[in-house]
Parts: sequence; C-alpha cells; structure tokens
Amino acid sequence: MKDALLKFLSGVFSFYYSEAALFRVSFSWNLTSASGVKPMIRYPAWGLPRPERGPVLEARGLSKFYGSVLAVRDISFSLHPGHVLGYLGPNGSGKSTTVKMLTGLLEPSDGQVVFDGQDIHKNLIAYRKRLGYVPEEANLYSYLTGQEYLDMVATLRAMPKRHKNRTISSLLQLFSLWPHRHVTMGSYSKGMRQRILLIAALMDNPDVLVLDEPLSGLDVTTVLVIKNLIQTLSARGKSVFYCSHILEVVEKVCSHLIILRKGQVIAQGTTDEVREHMGKSSLEGVFLHLVEDRDVVQMTQDIVSVVSP
Amino acid sequence: MQRMMQNPKRFFRQRWEAFSQTPFYCLLRLFFGRMFHGHADSDAGDLDLGIGVIVVLLAMPGMLVSLLMFEKYGSLIRFLRGAGPYDPFSATIPDEYFFLVLSMAVSGAAALWRWDSIFLDRRDFTNLVPQPIRLRSIFLASLSAIFALVALLTIVVNAASMVLYPLAVVGSQPSLSLLLRFAMGHAVVMLLAGAFGSLAVFAVAGVLMTLFPAAAFRRVSLLVRFTLALLLLVLLGTSWAVPDWLKQLSVANAHRVAVLPPVSFLGLLRTVWGRGGEPFVAAMTKAGATALGAAFFTTILAYAVSFRRSFVRIPETPDAGPLPRIPASFSPLAPLREAVLRTPSQRACYHFVARTLLRSDGHLQVLSGFLALGLVASAATLNSAPTLHSLVHGSSPPAEFLSVPFILVYCVSVGIRFAFEIPSQLPANWIFRFWLDRERHEARPIARRVLLLLSLSWLAPVCFLATLAFWGWIVALRHTAILILCTVALVEVFLVKFRKIPFTCPYPSFKSYSGLIVVAYLFGYVFFTYYLPQMENWSLSGPWGILWFAPLLGIVLSAIHFYRKQMLDMDKELVFEDVSASGFE
Repeated sequence: MKDALLKFLSGVFSFYYSEAALFRVSFSWNLTSASGVKPMIRYPAWGLPRPERGPVLEARGLSKFYGSVLAVRDISFSLHPGHVLGYLGPNGSGKSTTVKMLTGLLEPSDGQVVFDGQDIHKNLIAYRKRLGYVPEEANLYSYLTGQEYLDMVATLRAMPKRHKNRTISSLLQLFSLWPHRHVTMGSYSKGMRQRILLIAALMDNPDVLVLDEPLSGLDVTTVLVIKNLIQTLSARGKSVFYCSHILEVVEKVCSHLIILRKGQVIAQGTTDEVREHMGKSSLEGVFLHLVEDRDVVQMTQDIVSVVSP
Repeated sequence: MQRMMQNPKRFFRQRWEAFSQTPFYCLLRLFFGRMFHGHADSDAGDLDLGIGVIVVLLAMPGMLVSLLMFEKYGSLIRFLRGAGPYDPFSATIPDEYFFLVLSMAVSGAAALWRWDSIFLDRRDFTNLVPQPIRLRSIFLASLSAIFALVALLTIVVNAASMVLYPLAVVGSQPSLSLLLRFAMGHAVVMLLAGAFGSLAVFAVAGVLMTLFPAAAFRRVSLLVRFTLALLLLVLLGTSWAVPDWLKQLSVANAHRVAVLPPVSFLGLLRTVWGRGGEPFVAAMTKAGATALGAAFFTTILAYAVSFRRSFVRIPETPDAGPLPRIPASFSPLAPLREAVLRTPSQRACYHFVARTLLRSDGHLQVLSGFLALGLVASAATLNSAPTLHSLVHGSSPPAEFLSVPFILVYCVSVGIRFAFEIPSQLPANWIFRFWLDRERHEARPIARRVLLLLSLSWLAPVCFLATLAFWGWIVALRHTAILILCTVALVEVFLVKFRKIPFTCPYPSFKSYSGLIVVAYLFGYVFFTYYLPQMENWSLSGPWGILWFAPLLGIVLSAIHFYRKQMLDMDKELVFEDVSASGFE
C-alpha cells in the first residue's frame, strides 16, 4: 500500500487534469443578501448521481462559541471518498475553527464530527492515524532539519522504521528537498517549509486530507504539482477537505464547495452548480456576490484618493 | 532473561533501539532539545549557543572555585603557612556554604535563561497534537524532559566541584574512607541544592503560568525573571557574610536563618556527614528537606495545571501575542528627545532602537542582567563603607556613595552596548539598507543618543536628588556634572569604531582579540567605578577641584577624535554584514 503511494506520487507529475474525473453529488445551498444572512433555503437533489459509498467524514450541526462569541453556527456537510471539498470564506468567517474541529483539535460546543460513522472524540488517536493535516501556518521547529522533523512525525505516527526511512527519502526527493534534508528548517524558505508539511501529511497514506491553505508560499511548479496531486488523490478515493481563499485554485481543484460567512454556511454544492445558480461565470463573481459587503471599485477609489489626493 | 545473560550488550542495544523508536522517546528528545534551542516566539535575538557551549559555561564557575581551593587546603601551602591539622567537616563550612550558593545560583540562572522554553507552546500544539498520540504522552514526555534538564544542570554545575573540591580538602589525608565520606556527602547535597535551584525557578514559572493568561504571563514574566535574577545574585552575595553570622546563632534562632535555602542545605550536609545531632542542624535539615519536597511537588502540580489550562486550550485562544500596548499620551522624555534628535533618520532610528531594546525579550534580558549586576555591585559598594552613618555625613560625599551612579551608568551602558550586537529580525533590516546612505550615515550619533538617553535620563536626576538631599545644591550640581561628563566620554569610548544601526547585523564573528576586549571592559569597570569616584571625592574637597576633570576628558575626547580621523573611509561606512537569513530564498 505504501509502495503504491510512492509510485502514485511519481506519476502525479505527469498527471493530466480532467474535470470529467470529478464526482457530482446532490447539493443544498442558501442565499444571502448584502445586508446579512438569510435563513437557509434547501434545494432538492437535482438528479445528480449519488456517491457509491457513504460519507467518510461528516460534520453534524457544528457550532462553536469562544466564551460568548459565536464563531460558527450549525455547520453540516459530508465528505465522501473521492471528493475534494472546498471551504471558502473571508477572514474571520469561521474557516479555521471548522478545521480545528474537524481535526479534533477543538471540541465543538454543539454537534459532532463523525468519521466512518463514529464520533471522532470516541477514538481520536485512531482517527488521527487516518488523517493527514496541513495547518495554516508552517510553524515548525527551526532547529530540526527537514529529515529530522519528518522522522519525528513518522515515529509519532508509529510508522515501521524501514518503511518510514524509504518513504521520507523518496518524498524528499520528489518534493525537491533532498539536497536540503540535513539543513535546519530555520533557514528554509516559506515554500520549503510548506513542502515539509505536505510530506508530513502525506507520508502515512491517510484516508482523509485536511489542507488549510496548502499552497501558501509555494512556487508555480509546486502549486501545479499539488493541484494535480489533490485531483489524483481524489480519483483514488481519498477525501480532501480544502480550505483556502485562493478562488482560482479552489475552482479548479474542488469538486464541491461550501461558502461561509459570519460563521454560517451560505452556499453549498458542486462548484459548477454554485456558479450556475448564481448566474456568474467565475467563482470570484459568486464569492464577491455572496460574501463581500464592500464595493470593491469604490474601495479602490477611496485608497487612491488617500494616497494621491 | 536468558538472552540478557548470554549477551547483555546486544540485549541492551536492542532494547535501546526499540525504545528509541517509540513516540515517547521521540517526544522526550524533542522537548529536551527545545529547551536548548529556544521557543516558538524566539527571534534572532535569542542566543542559541548549543548544548556543548552551555555545558562548558555552566561547569566553569565550579571548576574555577574548586581549583582555588587547592591553594587554601593544599598541604604544602598549609605547611609553609605554618597551619596545623584541621577537621574537614568543620573547617570547610564557609566553603561548603559558598558551593551550595553557587550550585543553587548557577542552576537557577540556567533555568531562568531557558524560562520561555520550559512550557509547551502553540508551535508544539500545531505540530504534535494532530498526530495520533495521547495528550497524556505529551504531558509526561514534557515533564520528564524538565526533570532531565534539572538533572543535567545540577550534574554539570557540580561536576567539577564534586571531584576536585574533596581532593583539595581531604586528598592529602591518609584515610580513604574519610575522603569517600566527605566526597559522597558533598556530592549528594550539592546535587540536591542544584536541583532545588532549578526546581524553584520552574515552580515559580509554573505557578505564574497557572495564575495568569498567556498574554499577561508574558508581560509579568520579565519582571519576575529580573527579580529572581536579583535574588540569585543577592544569594551569592550572602556567602561573604552568612558563614560568620552562623557561628553567632543560637538554637532558638535557627528557624530565622533556615529560611535561607543554602543554610538549610548546609544542615542537610552536616546530617549526611553524620554530624546532624545538634538541634540547630536538625532544624536546618528539616527545613532543607521540606524546601526540596515543596519545590518538587509544586513544579509537578503547577505544570500539570498549566498544561491543562494553557496548552490544551491553545486552539481556543487567539494567537494574539502580548497584550496590546496603550500608547502613552505624554512622555516626560519627549521634549528632551525633540531637542537631541535633529534629523529624520536620527528620529526614526532612535525610536526603532529604543523600542527594540525595551520590547524584545532577548535584548531586555541582557539589559536587565547588566542592571541587576549593577544594583548588586552598588549594594556591595555601599556595604563596604565603615558605617551607614558615614555614607551620608561629612564635609563631602565618600567615594562609596559617589561610585554608585558610576557603577550603574557603566553596567547599563555596557548592557546596552552588548545588546546592540544581538540581531533582531534580520530580514527586516532591508528598510535601513534601502533608505540610509552608507557613506553619510548617522549610526554613531544614533547609538550615542540611545546610550545617553537610556542611562542618564533617569540616573542623572536620581543622582542629583540623592546628593541634594544630603550635601546641598553645590555638591549635587558638581557630582551630577562630573557624572554626565564622564558618561559622555565613556559612551564615546564604547562607540569608537561603531558603524552600524543596532540590531541590524548578525552576531559579530569571534576575533583573536575578543578576549582582550573583555579584559579591557573589566579594567574599564575598575577605572570608571573605583578610581574616578576616588578622584571625584578628592576634587570635591576644594572649590576648584572639579576643573581637574576638564583636561582629563579633553585628552580622552581628543584621542578618540584623532583616532577616528586617521581611519580609512571604508572603515567608516555603514555596514550590515550581509548574511541572508535564508539561504534558499
């Protein structure tokens, strides 16, 4: 199985992106006005093919309060094998809170996260063993070398020693970090640190990947590789939860979409359906229509008038 | 068991290899390493010396003092002095007290230095908690790492004295059992004292972490560390007075001195040596054992509570860093700054330098350390006066009184000058490279103003008021004027070859004459804090004595002026000693 992952990663570099590979499932969504969030309007399934297997990961009515502040309210979605679920929202909309609840780092105030039909908090260790996570910030131990860090993560994940060494070496080479494997991460660039996190998330062949802004700081080639990698993983039945604000990437990579605003889901469905329903040609148009209160043109003019009165 | 008996080496190697592949060992190694390499928020300002250098630095004081003991207890030297035989268990009490203080102070100082690295932080949470391991494993590994660090610190600090000191004291005596008894007792109690020093600091940190939210903890921790550093220095200072004082104490007063940890550990030592029969010693032994137990259990308890309260709840707390600063609406220094900061680059760089110095933990630690040294040295100088009364009475202030502001000025200036060499966020120095002209820069005027404003702005008024209170206007004015003039000259000497914006360059490389510079600073200290106050004391006796300082300062400033004049232009250019923080960007 592990060897298969390595072979597959090698093949990713020549992967040809095909939109036809995406699954399509039923969706629900809700609408909003510029003034605020309206009650959710649920649309019925539009005759789209249902996934063959049940959801691998489910969020059921997740809510989270920080003290008296509501961060997210009643978030529900399911992630099926082979799906790439894009999670979009402006800053402060509750994306990171949801990611933390999905990874078991944070307990929800209400609702539950279900993995393979079981609440993740019933056996968090087993769940995390099958989870790969790329956090938003590459906050690594600057005094460890890249190889040392990966070795540590592999040991913590209880990977067998021989397999661990082979996987780490191969992935370091594939991600172009092999020449720098004995250099401490304090001198790594942002992109290199991000690649280390991606290797750490991938090396134990997880069933579910939770990626929080995984392309941050990466060069163009690596971004293309990662985009293709996500598609290939989903084609092989892996589930990917992709949290980002880079709309162009989400549009190309994700089969499904959730748009969040002020802690609530305001749109949910396949990417094409969201676009079509809103009558917008691009995801950017949809996002601005649903989420942004501010008039971008007016804001630009205001900035120019301050800088150059 | 049979395998172990057949090939024990192989058996243990296999066991060790198996253990080294466990998550617990992996975490233990990680946490132990992080204590030597800084915490998540550490920037380039943290001194990252590595384990080897730290170990050598910690072992040095004990080794030096032990070597000096050969001069005191060596049989040949005693014979030449005409000293007779002695009881090592009684004659060594002052030295044992000093070793106890040294062990506690050095172990405590090392723990203080790694204060920020003791507790797990957001970086640990982000990297470790998403992995399939239990929180309990993280907690136990972290606690084990703390105790491993305590063990290492105590062993390293006392290693030399455990071997050399018993040899120096009883090595010349024919009885091996006496040597072993003395050495074992000394080793056990020194290790316990060192452990107490470290654990006490960890316990204080744990209690603070438990009581305060993370942001408030950061704010108060620097103050607490400064206070603890001061206490450790005071503790070190007690080694000159307490041993004599102990001889005069009665049993009834034992509880009064037993609160001093080294005193109670001295009782423990006497008990371990089999000399604990006296009630006074028994009382001290009890206090020592209680203190050690209290420090041990408080550390565990406080760490457990703070782990649950702070670490587990990290995702629920925003990564806001320290508490927001309230902008000061009025600063008493503002008019002075406006007057002395003339150009835009001086104003911009001064604010950058002053704020970095006062807000960056690493730089503030260095400054606080030198200030603490200055305060202790000042207290020792005042204490050296014949009587307290003589300090504030007489026709003119005594040299002890006059030297206090000189000591403080010297220590603060050296602290600031030393902190200038510690880089802070090097990648951010592009702004200075971008805007400042390398040939017509103002690095020295900026550094000069920072040094003078941060030292004299508070010391000169305090010096003036303190002198005014006891000796009137004339003496106060003269004393303050001499202090200001001497400080100006001192600052010029410190900045003679200075040509960089503070904090914007990497650490200076080690040079062959670096040792000489340290010696020069020590001689400078003696001259500035001893001979100058003596001269001032003499000059204040007459109305025109102060005029003697004018030619002296003139000579110093002229020498600096001519030295700079003959420097090559390329040696005057602004430098950044370009080394990219990332070799891969």
